[in-house]
Amino acid sequence: MVYEALDFYDIESECTEEEIMVRDMVRDWVDEEVIPNIEAACREGRFPEEWGKALGEMGVLGMTIDEKYGCAGMSYVAYGLVCQELERGDSGLRSFASVQGSLAMFPISAFGSEEQKMHYLPKMASGEWIGCFGLTEPDYGSNPGDMITKASDQGDHYLLNGAKMWITNGTVADVAVVWAKLDGVIRGFIVEKNDPGFSAPEMTGKHSLKASVTSELVFQDCKIPKDRMLPSVKGLKGPFSCLNNARFGISWGAIGSAQACFHSAKEYALSRIQFDHPIASYQLVQNKLSWMLREITKGQLLALNLGRKKDAGTWIPEQISLAKMNNVDMALEIARMARDIHGANGILDEYPIMRHMANLESVKTYEGTHDIHNLIIGRWITGIQSFTRTL
Amino acid sequence: MPEIAVLVKRVPDTNAKIAISGDRVDLSSVKWVMSPYDEFALEAAMMHKESNGGTVTAITLGTPDCDKVLKDAKAIGVDRIVRVWDDSWSDLDSNQVQSALVSALKELSTEVVYCGKSAADTGASSTGPGVAERMGWASVSNIIGIEFEDAGVEVLIPRNIGNARTGVSLPAVISCDKGFCKPRKPNVKGIMMAKRAQVEVLGADIPTSSINIVSHTPPPQKASGQKFEGAGNVPTVVAALRNDANVI
Ligand SMILES: Cc1cc2nc3c(=O)[nH]c(=O)nc-3n(C[C@H](O)[C@H](O)[C@H](O)COP(=O)(O)OP(=O)(O)OC[C@H]3O[C@@H](n4cnc5c(N)ncnc54)[C@H](O)[C@@H]3O)c2cc1C
Repeated sequence: MVYEALDFYDIESECTEEEIMVRDMVRDWVDEEVIPNIEAACREGRFPEEWGKALGEMGVLGMTIDEKYGCAGMSYVAYGLVCQELERGDSGLRSFASVQGSLAMFPISAFGSEEQKMHYLPKMASGEWIGCFGLTEPDYGSNPGDMITKASDQGDHYLLNGAKMWITNGTVADVAVVWAKLDGVIRGFIVEKNDPGFSAPEMTGKHSLKASVTSELVFQDCKIPKDRMLPSVKGLKGPFSCLNNARFGISWGAIGSAQACFHSAKEYALSRIQFDHPIASYQLVQNKLSWMLREITKGQLLALNLGRKKDAGTWIPEQISLAKMNNVDMALEIARMARDIHGANGILDEYPIMRHMANLESVKTYEGTHDIHNLIIGRWITGIQSFTRTL
Repeated sequence: MPEIAVLVKRVPDTNAKIAISGDRVDLSSVKWVMSPYDEFALEAAMMHKESNGGTVTAITLGTPDCDKVLKDAKAIGVDRIVRVWDDSWSDLDSNQVQSALVSALKELSTEVVYCGKSAADTGASSTGPGVAERMGWASVSNIIGIEFEDAGVEVLIPRNIGNARTGVSLPAVISCDKGFCKPRKPNVKGIMMAKRAQVEVLGADIPTSSINIVSHTPPPQKASGQKFEGAGNVPTVVAALRNDANVI
């Protein structure tokens, strides 16, 4: 079954030739390498190492970062299209790319010293070194500002103490960008996998993002050299800048999942005969397909518009919140509707539906939960923050 | 070090549904791609350069709409991209196409030409041999394997009773079948190079055409399949496969 992307409002015509070339490059790779192997990877609960290498070879890791550091210096729209195609394969695959590019490479490129950039970025762009991003802690998820992990200045080195949880790529990472408090102020630190006092055990038992590695990061008097702190950022601005980029990518990625579910539901509805006719001929089913098309199309317009704003530098974080929240929400609803259209077949791993649905439950929660984004937008509307009781 | 050229053609995506409007094919809404066999020719040209040095020039013939296939070739790593065209041209016949390509190949001092064994739209298989004929060069067609030597290449050509390993000295035109190599994929850096690359446009003197297309018609509709259910039908199916379909 040849994949034909839904493009009701001809988004393609709004993209440049090279943006489409990059999209098609990733689309073909996902069709050839990912879709035939993803179910096995999920069943085994592993992220195929060769996929990370392939992403590096294609040059999509940290692809918006300057060419000087071995990256591609491409547009955010191109990055969005890449996320869309990766997530059409699997949200775990897109998570890998988001974490590597937006959460690990981006802070080094934006807040790192020139030496840090030259040292880490080219090897991370090629996929030789894998990165992770440690912000969330067991007791601080939506509220990272109160994190416990801390760094102490020991003269010629820092000591890190604390624990992070739910860290994508943690166990397989060579480089961890870790946020910790130094004298009460949040700072970014680069921790390498062999640093003494650092370990990253894998978290198991996930029903979602099974092809993505999720880990704890544990720091027990973890000793790191002085030149591993990111010099140019203090406070929550550091991690939040990274999250803005990753959330932007997710707003495109979710369209990919939704497209996969829509495509499967459409094909299934056209071929499944009940009461002598294809179920696609019944109005209730058409209503569902029409709803899917409508939501995907709106999501595409939102993502494209945001992408152009990102490239022009005229965006505000609340616009990213809206796109992340809306597009993940619609994708999850489309996955559920698609499951319904597939009837019993919808629960089988022969179809991508249940996998996307389960994955999207994580995507709804990470990078700012759905409701945290509502609160961000609520604050923008009213001027009143409602995250805490101290008003 | 050889001047290598590869001929690439823009064709409708092989999955595209082709419609006829009036008495002409309507290609206004099809997706265009590089003809699939040309991807293997491109790979062979790149392998040739990797083995023997030289430069690879990708050449297409057509309007500026065809630049995309050249950009695709550039993204994969060819050195130059050339489009042969003159705004006074429209719908060229094979004779004109081959003459125009030959003019460009001469201008580029090409020593070896790779192309697909046929284009996915016309399926005529005439360009490779036709170009060789006009150049007065050796022509090997439908190759399914290749090795590079100092003064030429050794190719594998399918024959009815097996394959012929054939040495060819340059200059030559080599048309490629699929499957003997894995066409390399572009990467983002290649795509950025392609974005910046300039397409060189060459004109040519071509003969006047002596043919004209009167009309296009769609292929006949395929008869719908037959469905047999249950073990009792096995003899009927076997008989149909043997007598009607001639497959067993
Ligand atoms: C698969 C996966 C991968 C992840 N990868 C990473 C990673 O790489 N790096 C990293 O740092 N983190 C990662 N995370 C963590 C993720 O960012 C957090 O799970 C997320 O921030 C939510 O935190 P929490 O799970 O502690 O939920 P909580 O913050 O406890 O939220 C629970 C519920 O309470 C709601 N809630 C919380 N506060 C409020 C409020 N003020 N008002 C109203 N409702 C509220 C939330 O919306 C949610 O519905 C990952 C998570 C998952 C599931």
